[in-house]
Amino acid sequence: MSELLRLEKMRKTFPGVLANDDIDLSIEQGEIHALLGENGAGKTTLMNCVYGVYRPDRGRIFWKGKEVTIHQARDAIALGIGMVHQHFMLVPPLTVAENVILGLPSPREPLLDIKAVEKEVEELSQRYGLAVNPSAQIWQLPVGVQQRVEILKALYRKAELLILDEPTAVLTPIEVDELFAVLKSLKEKGISVIFISHKLEEVMKICDRITVLRDGRKIATLKTTETTPRELAKMMVGREVFLKIDKPPLKPGEIVLKVEALSAKDNRGLPAVRNVSFEVRRYEILGIAGVDGNGQAELADVLSGMRRASSGRVEILGKDVTDCTPLEIINHGVAYIPPDRQHTGLILDFTVAENLVGKSFFKSPLSKWGILRRESIEEFAQQAIQEYGIRTPGAQVKAKLLSGGNQQKVVLARELSGNPDLIIASQPTRGLDVGATEYVRTKMVEARNRGAAILLISTELEEVLTLSDRIAVMYGGEIVGIVPADQADIHEIGEMMAGTKRLVDGTLTLKIQETEKAYESSD
Amino acid sequence: MNRPIRLKFFWQEYLERSFSLTIPLAAILAAFALSGLLILAWGSSPLEAYVALFSGAFGSPSAIATTLQRLTPLVFTGLAVTYGYRGGFFNIGAEGQLYMGAIAAVWVAITFPDWPSWLLVPSCILASALMGMVWVILPALLKARRGINEVLSTLLMNYIAIQYFEWVIRVDHAMRDFTPPGGLGWAFYNWLGLKDPTQPHPKSPFLVEAAHLPTLKSILETPLLQGWLGGSEWYQQLLSVTALGRISLAPFLGLFAALFIYFLMFRTVTGYRARAVGINPEAAKFMGINVPRTLFTTALVSGALAGLAGGMEVLGTQHRVIPNFLVNAGFDGIPVALIGQLNPLAVLLSATFFGALRAGANKMQVVSSVPVAVVYVIQALAIMFAIAGTTIDIGLALRKRRVAQMRREQETLEVESEAANA
Repeated sequence: MSELLRLEKMRKTFPGVLANDDIDLSIEQGEIHALLGENGAGKTTLMNCVYGVYRPDRGRIFWKGKEVTIHQARDAIALGIGMVHQHFMLVPPLTVAENVILGLPSPREPLLDIKAVEKEVEELSQRYGLAVNPSAQIWQLPVGVQQRVEILKALYRKAELLILDEPTAVLTPIEVDELFAVLKSLKEKGISVIFISHKLEEVMKICDRITVLRDGRKIATLKTTETTPRELAKMMVGREVFLKIDKPPLKPGEIVLKVEALSAKDNRGLPAVRNVSFEVRRYEILGIAGVDGNGQAELADVLSGMRRASSGRVEILGKDVTDCTPLEIINHGVAYIPPDRQHTGLILDFTVAENLVGKSFFKSPLSKWGILRRESIEEFAQQAIQEYGIRTPGAQVKAKLLSGGNQQKVVLARELSGNPDLIIASQPTRGLDVGATEYVRTKMVEARNRGAAILLISTELEEVLTLSDRIAVMYGGEIVGIVPADQADIHEIGEMMAGTKRLVDGTLTLKIQETEKAYESSD
Repeated sequence: MNRPIRLKFFWQEYLERSFSLTIPLAAILAAFALSGLLILAWGSSPLEAYVALFSGAFGSPSAIATTLQRLTPLVFTGLAVTYGYRGGFFNIGAEGQLYMGAIAAVWVAITFPDWPSWLLVPSCILASALMGMVWVILPALLKARRGINEVLSTLLMNYIAIQYFEWVIRVDHAMRDFTPPGGLGWAFYNWLGLKDPTQPHPKSPFLVEAAHLPTLKSILETPLLQGWLGGSEWYQQLLSVTALGRISLAPFLGLFAALFIYFLMFRTVTGYRARAVGINPEAAKFMGINVPRTLFTTALVSGALAGLAGGMEVLGTQHRVIPNFLVNAGFDGIPVALIGQLNPLAVLLSATFFGALRAGANKMQVVSSVPVAVVYVIQALAIMFAIAGTTIDIGLALRKRRVAQMRREQETLEVESEAANA
């Protein structure tokens, strides 16, 4: 096989950060090459240098053996490099074909000949097994198909090398399988793919060779057949990682959270949570799996008092807390780890200490007669920094200067400090690197072992599978099935997430509840 | 192991704090420099003009007295804007609240002229603060309950306040030796009025002596101090400085207010909540903070401060109200707060800058024939430079580097300790 792209001594610095440190990389024709590394390892930065988004400080790029300079994305496209970003660059009201030719001359300048484009897109789509309807509007398409439109865009521009930045982050397991099929067919047709990811299993499954980056440096390039996930994980993190979390089997205790026939609306006033019922007990983690946007966020909002329920009932330790304020719910012993630590979890312009006392600053000993006691707060903060291993120069540093993992540790320290009875964790490890993820998960299991009830909402199926004692799947605002984790079948859960299978009949359970209520009222 | 790092960090902090002061100072200097060109074009010497400006503001006891009088309302409105802004309530209505505060103070003083000074002065001050609060209740409720933009509502409340003032100052006040014509309804009407019925022009009666804020002179002349210090020579010298009679307690109350607001903002539970809501209401809500209630409280504090600005002007300086008795002091609170970097203590400095410009302008015009309006050019330029300066956050850049270095140091330490363990 011949070499398609070679990078030599690529270096890129940002003020105060060395993002890429003399990285060499070689991509061959028709291979799927993984760039594996934790968040912040420099994967995306390196690819942005290749694609012309950033200008590297130094380093040479060879394309088919000839040295080239790439100043902007246009240069990269002209060479035959295409990139699919994590966030799609599509115009929702336009059709697939219109999006594909956006920025390109029409086949019949100055007139727009969309029919010709549609025909060509159709052909491309057939040849690579993409199954995209060229006249569909983008907003109507599921995320997986939108991603294929992005791939089509690159192919239409005669790309020979496709860079995919974390392509599976937004997909369901079934869509991931579909994407992999597409990648295989691209490979057969001689197109090279750079697959940026931090997920080991996926990389092992689809890639031919793997380059591991850590802290901006290249650690190694390996053949997939000659390595193991364990070795890769060690390279990524720089130390041994326990991918399996040690979780002793415990007998669930009393019911802490009881949700009955709960419904709620989203911000647009459309039903987002429909007639959801479940319970979480002490010594138990109930994981809620589901593709993002199937009502999980709204469910968490209602349970934490941020959103009103349109009907139904929420009980915590036997007390009705439906539509209580967030403070009342906190006072019932509930901790909430919000999905977005930057916007809702932390006040970034507050110091670490101020954030750490965010739920207890008004109580003794942190304040007295409405006056904050600085020594007590400092002491409290130092203790939390020690206990949770928060890496910060001091408690008086603004939270926005911390790395993502340390920010999440601040949230954890704040939420878990009062030994809550119930922990609602919404996407607790989103965007965290392997080390921080492991830490957060260990803390959750510790809380469970201590006797807390945990409701874990995550769009990462792998996370739900590793942590949960029982798994509930949400689809279209409903819970379509609850299974014990040890009996969980990943394919079955995948089907439920995609909405093609359901274990609980929504209408049936509703009827049962209604009859029960009728009995109760007649008594 | 930890100590040197923390010491270094302390210096970093110190450096950063001084940078945040550097920006407004540099802005002010740049404004003077640029306005100097304007003065040159006018045909005068900028240096001469600025010397006159400075001596007009600080050159004599009398000049200092004038500067203090000018800066006092700006301190209060500056604090009002600062506290409101930090708490997520951008109070553009300080002007109106100031007018209402002044009305309240005058009304109490002319309605209860027989009260002793120790009761009347605090009552007047309290009335002005309360009236400032009352004037902000409606915008505050609209913002807290319905999320209606407070910038618009407080701005519009200004016009109502100013028109109300213009009316009330034209209605004869029902005083002891003045029986209003007409029946009971008219009695109430006149009871509300502020105009001195013996005067043809719209202005309030001069406040009774008991309603004046004590001046430094009157404090010195109290029997207690006189008996204590009466013999000493410097005491007699001090008494002969007439300007002391124009320096009331108001600027000192302003200083106290700035300290109090600083304490409230950074050292109390109320201030913590207010700042949390001001920076990120969504996260504050997740922490269990009652956002609407906090916004409402913040608005009330802001309104009270603006009301006090009017009260202080009336009780300490003018002792009566006339049309246009204090124009734009409320609106000027916004640039005062901005140049003060939204810090209550720095507001004192920026209010001094604004007050000194106003106090020295006349002397500058007399000495170097540079028109007073140049002062407003300097002021406007300083504001623009200060706003532009906020984009250069040197402190943040420094701190970021520090944190990155910190992280590296710690990682090395960890690696070393791991190696040691193994």
